[in-house]
Amino acid sequence: MNKSLEERFAVLGARPILDKPTPVGQLYFPEWDRYETAFRGIFQRQYYANNGPLLTELEEKLESFLGVKHAMCVSNATFGLIIAAEAMRLSGKVIMPSFTFIASAQSLSWAGMEPVFCDIDPQTHQMDIKRLDDLVDEHVSGVMGVNLWGGACNPVALEEFARSRDLKLYFDSAHAFGCEIEGTPVAGFGNIEVFSFHATKILNATEGGCICTDDDELADRCRNIRPSYGDHKAVNITKVANARMSEAQAAIALLSLEDFPRNRQNNEDLFCEYEKGLSNIPGLRLIRPAGVTVSNYQYVVCEIDEAEFGLSRDTLLAILKAENINARRYFYPGTHRCVGFLDNPSGTAERLPVTERVCASCLQLPIGARVDRRNVEKICEIVTASQRHSAELAALLAKKPELLG
Amino acid sequence: MIAKTNVKGLAIFGGERLFSTPKSTSNLLRPDIDAFLKYSKISFDQNQYTNNGPNVKLLEKRLARLHQTRFCITFSSGMWALVLAIRALSLRGKSEIIMPSLTYRRMPDIAAWAGLKPRFCEVAPGTLALTAETVEPCINSETALIMAVHPIVNCCNSEELVECGKAHGIPVLFDSVESVYETTHAGKVGKFGEAECFSMHACKLLNGFGGGYLTTDNEKLARKLASLRTYGFVQVDTIGIPGGMNAKLNELHAAMALASLDDLSAQIDRNRRRYHTYRSLLDDVPGIRLLEFDESLKNGYKNIVVEILDEWPLSRKHTVRVLNAENILAREHYYPPLHRKNMDFPYVSCELPLTDKLAERFMNMPCGQLVSNGDIKEIVCILKFIHKNATEISKRLSRHEDE
Repeated sequence: MNKSLEERFAVLGARPILDKPTPVGQLYFPEWDRYETAFRGIFQRQYYANNGPLLTELEEKLESFLGVKHAMCVSNATFGLIIAAEAMRLSGKVIMPSFTFIASAQSLSWAGMEPVFCDIDPQTHQMDIKRLDDLVDEHVSGVMGVNLWGGACNPVALEEFARSRDLKLYFDSAHAFGCEIEGTPVAGFGNIEVFSFHATKILNATEGGCICTDDDELADRCRNIRPSYGDHKAVNITKVANARMSEAQAAIALLSLEDFPRNRQNNEDLFCEYEKGLSNIPGLRLIRPAGVTVSNYQYVVCEIDEAEFGLSRDTLLAILKAENINARRYFYPGTHRCVGFLDNPSGTAERLPVTERVCASCLQLPIGARVDRRNVEKICEIVTASQRHSAELAALLAKKPELLG
Repeated sequence: MIAKTNVKGLAIFGGERLFSTPKSTSNLLRPDIDAFLKYSKISFDQNQYTNNGPNVKLLEKRLARLHQTRFCITFSSGMWALVLAIRALSLRGKSEIIMPSLTYRRMPDIAAWAGLKPRFCEVAPGTLALTAETVEPCINSETALIMAVHPIVNCCNSEELVECGKAHGIPVLFDSVESVYETTHAGKVGKFGEAECFSMHACKLLNGFGGGYLTTDNEKLARKLASLRTYGFVQVDTIGIPGGMNAKLNELHAAMALASLDDLSAQIDRNRRRYHTYRSLLDDVPGIRLLEFDESLKNGYKNIVVEILDEWPLSRKHTVRVLNAENILAREHYYPPLHRKNMDFPYVSCELPLTDKLAERFMNMPCGQLVSNGDIKEIVCILKFIHKNATEISKRLSRHEDE
């Protein structure tokens, strides 16, 4: 017997399809006994901060895993980006996509610079390299590429562009830890790459980040700005940032690094489930990680074409939320539409048409530690049903807008 | 333990070190591991590791209670608590921040991150604290904020500084990183001025692996800072305040700080015993004066600062070198003073003759949880040994330096 809509959709009063609120991810965390052992070790050594033994071990392991000469851990990735900008001695303006997390642009403001927003590619959501040429003027000193959605923004082509225009190049690689381009880890491109180890990323230090570079001089400056204790060479810098990673964060990151292969595989398996479950839904396009041969599959990103899907992105979001699926609309509303950047001349709707469209149509579904294959099937089921019943749902919800929250 | 019988036996001249592990000025509190694990388990069970998690909320509640304020906001470090607070409180369009020169070596960097020029002021010789009298000559039409830093032994006269700020219409922010437990004659540290900032670095009274917090009774300020530390978000998908960043405290650090808080009164007892040991033993060392805590008030008793008097027969620089060689990591107290440092950002250059003099006279002695009363006895013995053999030490050191 066919269920009525009221019996099927939690937004109309049915029981939510998932038992408890499920965040988008990643939230991998070591098992309790490993956690306890790691912290008993710290308490025994009584070394808590200031580049201790676990931090040193983590940095060495990251250098080898990522194939870079210097990996320098910091308290979070925003500080990583600020330190990178200061160390590169950027000035004036830096080109970056508006379609990224707000921290990318805020890091520039803290380092005393202004972003020039670049539009994105409609297929991949990565920065549209073809548009860069028109954005360079005498005030632009660098480019911040953002490696998005477990993919990459064509760092090889960006390197060539930066070289040809004599610009500094660095990457916000918060989404790209563990990704590879034909055997080369995403980590050593440009002058610097910065990773995030926030709990929502595949490598979890609760908070945390890491600055990678092959350039000794830049590394010295980063370590002095961070700052560092120990034998590192003292070099001239303007000001320190007090953004060291503690032994507690390093302990979790080390365990998380051990678990990386397993967690990456789990993400990939879940992503495959999503691909199966979402492949034939009119008006829904799943964005595959672009420009990499190995992805961490950290995000499940969908674009909703309202006309074809039958519901707006925000309506679908409300339907999912009622089902305990805490889907999100990253990045909304886009950096150029956020306080602090509203008067930026590069941030107009005319100059960023693709960004504007994607900000209004894209959403993320849960992937990581808090979902399993069964949950993914259920999520796909409810998305499929939402599309199939979009006309009735739209009509019902139009009558009762309070149900959308 | 190696008793020093002759000058050649000093580690600086090749003898064995008095201590095999360094005796530092860092507190390095090790709270009860089970308490730490108990708090950790809360985050673990809720799968919330950061972003204003359960331990952060509990910590903020308990710290507000400790300081008797309405609000407490935690941060990833004490430095960024200060930077964000300065940004939130500074008078708009003004360019200078007043701060003592005899203080934390990174204080000018904090001003620079906040976009202000440091203007350095003198401190009172008896207390090493800034006062209304030392601040007032620095106030001008460009003053954006007064950064009132408590000295590391005893406190500023908070009320007087707040009055001074009020009289000139300038906000006063307290840097109270070394004054978590302190009470002034006007009440508990934490509720004075616009706000007070604290650190939870492992070297401080409360070990949170790192971190900082701010206390205030000002609801608007508390809300603003809670938002600024989280990129300026005021609700999901909405940045409401410009100038934000990530300065959130994570749950591991909050759990550690909570476990440290549980140990606080026991720690104070231990610190007081250490302080009293120093006090009774240093009585017999001519030329060294202990900076005494005002015991009529509540103190953390963590820091041990001594003044090198004129009658002390060795220079402070040499004294510190001799001690450091023994693994006694005594430090020159806030040296060089900030107005003598090279800075690559805008600042107001000035002459501070009193600070210049004071900056030559004080020394921080080993303290904290890894220094036992027995260690203190050894440290004081070395001081006495230095006093007795100063002429020969001095001669040998000059010879070393010539070589």
